[in-house]
Amino acid sequence: MATALELVGIRKSFDGFAALTDAHFALRWGEVHALLGENGAGKSSLMNIAAGIYAPEAGAVLVDDNPVRFSGPRDAARQRIGMVHQHFKLVRAFTVAQNILLNLPPEPGSHGKRLRRVEAAVREKAAELGFEIDPNQRTDSLSVAEQQRVEILKVLLAGARILILDEPSAVLTDAEAERLLRTVQTLARRGAAVVLVTHKMADVKAFADRVTVMRGGRTVATVDPKQTAVGELVRLTVGESVAPAARRRSAPGAVRLSVRQLASTADANGRRALDGIDLELRAGEIYGLAGVGGNGQSEFAAAIMGLPPATDGEIHWAGFGDLKAAATPARRSLGLAAIPADRYGLALAGALSVAENFGVGQVGSGCYGSAWRLDRKRLDADATAAVAAFDVLGVHSVEQKAALLSGGNAQKLVLAREFSNAPKLVLAHSPSRGLDVRAAADVLARLLAARDGGAAVLLISEDLDEVLALSDRIGVMTRGRIVAEFAQPAERQTIGQAMVDHG
Amino acid sequence: MAELTDLASGRPAPRQPWASRRYALEIRQQPSWPRQALILGSALLAGLLVSAAILVAAGVPAGELLNEFVVQNLFDAQNLHAVLFQAAPMILIGLAGAMAFRARFWNLGLEGQMVCGAIGATAVALFDVGPAALRLPLMFGVAIVCGLLWVLAPVLLKLRLGVNEIISTLMLNYIAGNFLLHLLYGAWKDPKDAFPHSPQFRAFERLPELGASGISSAVLLAAAVALLAWWWVDVSRAGLYLRFVHANPRAAHALGVPVRRMILASVMVSGAMAGVAGFVVASGQEGRLTQAFYQGYGFSGILIAFLARNNPLAAAVVALLVAALFVTGRSLQVFYQVPFAMVQLIQAIIVISVAASDFFIRHRLQRVSVGAE
Repeated sequence: MATALELVGIRKSFDGFAALTDAHFALRWGEVHALLGENGAGKSSLMNIAAGIYAPEAGAVLVDDNPVRFSGPRDAARQRIGMVHQHFKLVRAFTVAQNILLNLPPEPGSHGKRLRRVEAAVREKAAELGFEIDPNQRTDSLSVAEQQRVEILKVLLAGARILILDEPSAVLTDAEAERLLRTVQTLARRGAAVVLVTHKMADVKAFADRVTVMRGGRTVATVDPKQTAVGELVRLTVGESVAPAARRRSAPGAVRLSVRQLASTADANGRRALDGIDLELRAGEIYGLAGVGGNGQSEFAAAIMGLPPATDGEIHWAGFGDLKAAATPARRSLGLAAIPADRYGLALAGALSVAENFGVGQVGSGCYGSAWRLDRKRLDADATAAVAAFDVLGVHSVEQKAALLSGGNAQKLVLAREFSNAPKLVLAHSPSRGLDVRAAADVLARLLAARDGGAAVLLISEDLDEVLALSDRIGVMTRGRIVAEFAQPAERQTIGQAMVDHG
Repeated sequence: MAELTDLASGRPAPRQPWASRRYALEIRQQPSWPRQALILGSALLAGLLVSAAILVAAGVPAGELLNEFVVQNLFDAQNLHAVLFQAAPMILIGLAGAMAFRARFWNLGLEGQMVCGAIGATAVALFDVGPAALRLPLMFGVAIVCGLLWVLAPVLLKLRLGVNEIISTLMLNYIAGNFLLHLLYGAWKDPKDAFPHSPQFRAFERLPELGASGISSAVLLAAAVALLAWWWVDVSRAGLYLRFVHANPRAAHALGVPVRRMILASVMVSGAMAGVAGFVVASGQEGRLTQAFYQGYGFSGILIAFLARNNPLAAAVVALLVAALFVTGRSLQVFYQVPFAMVQLIQAIIVISVAASDFFIRHRLQRVSVGAE
């Protein structure tokens, strides 16, 4: 079989953070080729380069053995490459046919005529693939699975023969996912080339002809999934088992937070982001919640912070009762500290000063003057001291805008604020994501220090290394539930297995 | 490896639109103060030159512009008096705009709240509520309550049901305006001259002049409100909360800032200030309830807040300048038959210039060489 698409020695970094260091990938005509890896392994970045969305810093892209250079997705489409993104790119108020027309290169003919041609083409292609789609329906009235089919029709009708599907089954039910993957397999059998970006072992085993595994921005191996045991694939994905570094065991105290049957309301497709979580968190321990992103971690963090206040089940805070009775400010004054994953969206106001960002959590308690007068002198002094204590670099003055801090230093500023009041419970969601090694190590050391100081720490992370290195106990979260729990020392392999078994 | 890269760059570059090939827009992270001032100053100058050109085209001799706009307003006691007289409601309405915009609430109903404040104050005067000595404070208080009530429904609808306040506040202007006409052509018509305005207020129902200076106490009231607003946004704890709500409402909520209460409070303050502006127009300027609200107060309030970047003290200064523009506009109307709408045209030109300068403060056009990647 001839090579359809080849990526050689690709390098790409974002804001100095290397997403891809030396990535290789070769796709043949007529195959379904899975691209497997943990979150942050670089799968999506690599495929965005193949689809012309990002430009690589080094390396080459070859289509049919000819080197190509894309200045945008249109160029990639000319080379018959089409990508279906994890987050659909549809205009909600447009019909199916209008969305597909929008993606086609301009050609002569009136809009009405072209739209009718597209409608006919949609009907024909949909019938060929066994999709039931009315080209005149508005896309916002379609289910998620139907929208995905529209996305696939969109790239196929634009002439794509090399099809990249980014986590296509993440939003689907099992039955829908299987149906989709069968269709994709049929396309490949008819001569197209398909890339299946995924983290689900079962899909890889059942539908892929070959699988390429990525880890930390590099290509690890390309193997035949039929000939490779799941355990071996897990090992390739998560890396060699390393014994966790020896560290002082903590002596967990009383239960500080117990979560019982926490569930969110079902969405339009009947899926629940949180589907009955049970968890106990003790003082002086770090509970690591591992799992592939998008399995309810963000919703769980939000539920603890009190962002969407209404959920079923109970979050019991020792000495207070059900937290649902408490809004975010009340939870904060109980001693909750939060380090959200989206630090610029949920933890900082970039347009405001470092001092203001530091002080906002504490001013309510009256330590920076009364409601009548904010004690700016004291706030600036405390902020300056905290910036020094937490080693936040790049602060010339605490009056400067927080947006000017680099990612790692912005995170340290968040920590400085959250730890300024000896919290009872620390919620840390992907606290070291996007940070360089030194900043990440600093952040993790702060979490350990908080635990040793008696705080209960809930560490939600997609980075298994981080979870293994820090946690006293480890839970695995899949599809809105905690499907397995491990005491330390835990086997990396076993946890990785638990993450994929239930996916 | 290097071979492949060379091979790739050896092919002709794909076609690109002209603009993206030669220039790129870059975002300036932290523009320096002198640069900001320079850009803002040139934008203002450009706006003023365009305005001057339009005025000259409309028949004002070019040599008279400086005299009319600067000399008369600053050095003629009577004109200065008129500017201060006009400035009081302008300051109040500008502050009202700034308070709402600080909470990201687009209160386009300033004019309606102003009308309601004036109607409330007039009702107190016409129905002789309370003893004479307490009449003015009572009118003041009722104006506050009326302005506040007129914005309460839109803000509650926005907070509870997500109703767009731009539409709701704007539409409430028409209801307030037509209710005002209903009163002035009906029950409250002045029986003495049968003109569509209310009977004249009595002396103790009018804001007094300060001593012998002839300056209305309305200016003093407006200045006091401006100081109060400055305290609220720059000194008090609520000011910090409000800045967070403005900068990042999601983060503010997650950090325990009472976001909804802050929005509710500052919007209510906005409505109350607009109500006081209405009271000042009725009791300070006209001495009765008239149709004087249709000179574009609502629009002026929005642009004063915008030009002052929602800063209360800056709003007071900008309001003074806008008041000078109004006064000059009236004299140009008399002496050169320039329509009063020209005042609003000039306001709009200056706002557009300043708004455009923001783009140049935050961005930089960077020349990109075609070959480099």
